[in-house]
Amino acid sequence: MTISHAVLTTGLLLTLIGMWGMLTQRNILRIIIGFALMGTGSHIVIVAVGYVANGTAPIIDDALPLSEAAARAVDPVPSALAVTAIVIGLAVTAVMLAFAIRLYGAKKSLSIDAFADSKW
Amino acid sequence: MVGSLLHPLNIFIVGLGGGFLIPLLNRFGRAWAAAVLVAALAAIALISVSSGVQVFFNGAPIEILTGGAEPPYAINLRMGLAEAFAAACVSIVALLGGAYVVREKYAVLLLYLVLVMGVLGMVMTRDLFNLFVFLEIVSIATYGLLSLGESPEALAAGFKFLMATVVASTLFLLGTILVYAVTGMLNIDGLIADRAAIAGPIGFVALTMLLGALLLELKPFPANGWGLDVYETAPGSVAALVASVVSAGVFFALLKLLPLFEDYLIVIAVSGAITFVFANLVGLSQTKAQRLLGYSSTGQMGLLCMALALLHLTDAEAAIPLAVGGLFLNHLVAKAGLFWLAGIVRKERLREWSVLAGRPLLLVGFGVLLCAIAGLPPFPGFWAKWELLLSLASAGQHVWIAIILLGSLLEAAYLFRWFGRSLNSTADTKDWRPARLDLMPVYSAGLLLAICGYGAATMAGLQGQWVFLPLIAGLAMFAIDRLSARTKWAVAFLAVAAGGLWLVSGAVGIGFLFAVVLYSGSLALTVACLYREDERRGFYPVLAVMLLSLQALPRAATTLEFFVLFELVTLSSYFLIARRDEAQAAALSYLIWSLAAGYFVLAGFAVAHAVIGDVVLSTFLTAGPESALAFGLLAAGFMIKAGAIGVHVWLPAAYAESDDDVSAFLSAVVSKVPIFGLVVAAYAAIRSEAVLDLAYFAGCIGMTTTVGGAMLALRQDDIKRMLAYSSMSQLGYIVAAVALMSHLGWVTALYLTANHLAVKGILFLVAATVILRTGRRELSGLGGLAKRMPLTFGIAVVGVVAMSGLPPFTGFGGKWLLLSAMVEKGWYLPISLGVLATLVGLLYMVRFVRATFLGQPQEDVRTTSDAPWPILAAQALLILGILIMTFAPKLLIVPISDAIDPAFSATLVWNGMSLELIYGYWNPWPTMIASVAVSAVVIAALWLARGLAAKRLRVVRARSFFEDYRPLVLALTPPWTSTFWDRLTEQTQELGRTIACVYTGDGQLYIVYVLYYFVAVYLACAALAFALP
Repeated sequence: MTISHAVLTTGLLLTLIGMWGMLTQRNILRIIIGFALMGTGSHIVIVAVGYVANGTAPIIDDALPLSEAAARAVDPVPSALAVTAIVIGLAVTAVMLAFAIRLYGAKKSLSIDAFADSKW
Repeated sequence: MVGSLLHPLNIFIVGLGGGFLIPLLNRFGRAWAAAVLVAALAAIALISVSSGVQVFFNGAPIEILTGGAEPPYAINLRMGLAEAFAAACVSIVALLGGAYVVREKYAVLLLYLVLVMGVLGMVMTRDLFNLFVFLEIVSIATYGLLSLGESPEALAAGFKFLMATVVASTLFLLGTILVYAVTGMLNIDGLIADRAAIAGPIGFVALTMLLGALLLELKPFPANGWGLDVYETAPGSVAALVASVVSAGVFFALLKLLPLFEDYLIVIAVSGAITFVFANLVGLSQTKAQRLLGYSSTGQMGLLCMALALLHLTDAEAAIPLAVGGLFLNHLVAKAGLFWLAGIVRKERLREWSVLAGRPLLLVGFGVLLCAIAGLPPFPGFWAKWELLLSLASAGQHVWIAIILLGSLLEAAYLFRWFGRSLNSTADTKDWRPARLDLMPVYSAGLLLAICGYGAATMAGLQGQWVFLPLIAGLAMFAIDRLSARTKWAVAFLAVAAGGLWLVSGAVGIGFLFAVVLYSGSLALTVACLYREDERRGFYPVLAVMLLSLQALPRAATTLEFFVLFELVTLSSYFLIARRDEAQAAALSYLIWSLAAGYFVLAGFAVAHAVIGDVVLSTFLTAGPESALAFGLLAAGFMIKAGAIGVHVWLPAAYAESDDDVSAFLSAVVSKVPIFGLVVAAYAAIRSEAVLDLAYFAGCIGMTTTVGGAMLALRQDDIKRMLAYSSMSQLGYIVAAVALMSHLGWVTALYLTANHLAVKGILFLVAATVILRTGRRELSGLGGLAKRMPLTFGIAVVGVVAMSGLPPFTGFGGKWLLLSAMVEKGWYLPISLGVLATLVGLLYMVRFVRATFLGQPQEDVRTTSDAPWPILAAQALLILGILIMTFAPKLLIVPISDAIDPAFSATLVWNGMSLELIYGYWNPWPTMIASVAVSAVVIAALWLARGLAAKRLRVVRARSFFEDYRPLVLALTPPWTSTFWDRLTEQTQELGRTIACVYTGDGQLYIVYVLYYFVAVYLACAALAFALP
């Protein structure tokens, strides 16, 4: 199974950019965007893992006999994993946004600096 | 039909179905939704338990296939024995915790149910991506619960939790995908079987990502600020869920995947160790209850990781069920209970927990949960730690043992400091009334821990069920705690008498003799307890536990039995001392030192087990020189408990600040426990040449303690502190006697023990009388009581004479034997110290009698009556004992000679005669008459001389006689030891505060720590992979 290096690298880069966003942005909404980017990056990585160079869709029919399936078909499993991961990412993003709304309601600020009460 | 209803897959059906039903039925009323939740949780618990039973009896796990296909084409789950155990624990705790959420909005109920289902999914699944999905289900449910928080702090903490765990989850996801990329498998069984295929750079990164993610979810130091904030601010029910249920699920996931990480186990162990120690260091500085529980939780998870990794590393997988399972269960149930209690009490600060004072049942529940977390008997954590440490010692992992014990000691320190605060009864508690029903889960948690503790004890190989007799007696007495003081006393006395008789009759040899001495002493002193007429809630149960444990101790045939009873004595005496508000600091100090002593003893037993490979006490006799370390540790532990010089700083405060009759118990009977331990260890060691070199050192320590204690006693003004130092000083003689490592030495030791018990019992009771009748404790405020309390005066004189080694009483016989034996061995330094100590001892005792009873009475001294009859009765019994020992020393000495191996005693001669012959010729009467005559002449001469001198000088008040000596004594006793230990305590707390500065409250900084931690794990694994071929 060969991995598409370009797509993989893009995915990892996107993950890192998202991580950087989470680490450096002070506005909560930007942090959430950073998380979303991180998630998208990881989904791209998932898809890239399944790719077979010059491969075709994993459907057994006249064009793709069973004997050649392993060599020529793109792996379907990572696609399923990607869909699951997207759904999970959706749910988490939704919860994060809900947090943002409640945090703003509590302190009228969306800056992460305003929420450093509990310490030591 | 029933079989399929209880199939484990139904857990998910019930969970998801219930999740749909809750909002639906909520339209009919909140009670319906709550009913669905409770029913669902009960069903899940039932399924887990029944599956467990089924797996246990079938011997094979339940394999659950889905999708109509076999793995790896479909996801499979498994309900094996470990899974069933974890599932049962989690679901029962969740069911109990459901009581705290039933009144919330339906969203909370829904999320609660889904969270529990998710955790059980994490436990059962055998697919890596499925594990990720369930992890996310649990996480999302947790985020949801946290987002419903009320206060800004709770929301902020929830968001920080969210940020950090999404990073960890992303790592886990990427790790899973990369594993798939490298191997093409997601099935855990397949991956474990084929783990060599996870190779190459991508495979390595994948494994470290998985490992890092799992460790991060367990909240390691320093990447756990987010977890601590949530523990601090979330409501008790949610915090309990996160701390116990969620952590249990993640830990089980780590357990499941552990074979993949078998090259990196040391990383897990080190991370766990750092977390455990640092969390407990920071815990010392906490002032908020839930945050303190948070530090304790993270520490316990660190300990669990450490235990798991180390047991695998040392190929001790057989110990894992008890050690890891016991700690797992212990933490799960006790932490949940404590967080539930915190949710009920609703007091943020530790000092506000004094609302618990005066509520005995709550205090017992609180105490039970704290004891369980601290790893004290009879709870599962204790047996688990025993198994763990024995296992580590077998593998020679002494450093890890030290780390575990250090962390445990720190944890016990802050947990019991909290308990002490809750005993403070001066606070106003009327405004707080918890509902009975609210407390049911907390009590159930305690009950569950007790039952599982019994189970764990059986697993640990405890054979003597009689070990539990003290606890059962205590429980029974607690049930009747509302009766009058006299009734309770009678029941307690009967219980101790009957139970003690049964326990003592089971002892043999040296143990039997000690048991008889302790038995008679305890009963005599219990008579004195009648002098207090107040209700004394909770006093008699704890007293019964302590006395029965003491009497059971000499009967112990294995190291485990000995250690359990040793710790029970420590615990019960702590609870007795802590009854007085003024004694809290003293009680805490006593507990920490006693626990430290216990840990040394535990370490000694563990090392001995490693060397001998058996736990039965008598086989120590065949140990070779390698057991020197074991005996050294045992001796250190027993000497700390006895209060040897340098480690005595806990003793004066503990004896002085406790209730007066408790002080008598502490000094007379509790202090004999380490002596017994030393005698047994020494007796066993004599057969191995291991410790004969240590013996001289121990003898010197003993005699230095005697001198030091005597000097410190001389400078005291408080009666009880003076008697405390005196007690310490006299124990030094006994330690030195044991250290003689000879037949003669042990005979002397037992003789001195019996003497010390009687004498100190008498003297502390005299002090009790004086304090009761005059309301004063300072020698400078007393005087002239001889006329008003003639009986007490006479008894005090008898006690002083018996103690000081003047003829004709027992002290003389004992000290003569001791010094003679030392001369025989050529121990000149100890002898000189001993003589000096005897002289100083005489000084402070005479001062005591003079200042209290002689001279002019103070004008404002109150009532003039003599001692209450219970105290007099007790003292009469003790004096009877002294007289028996004076006039019939053979009664004690001959049985000892018989108890010690006859072959051994025949080879020891003294002055050309065997000991049998000597005592055969011993006739005390001529000596006694002669010494009484001599003493009478000497005293008469002194009296005349003083009378003559007084005619020429002003009449000097008795108490100023010693004022001239005071500066000299003060100069000779610099407070080096107490300064040292005080400074050490301060530094430790300061260290904790400094480490806590890591937690700045900034959520993004916490994510940075998460990343640093992952990088650290990565580099550590890389280093390991590089170093190992």
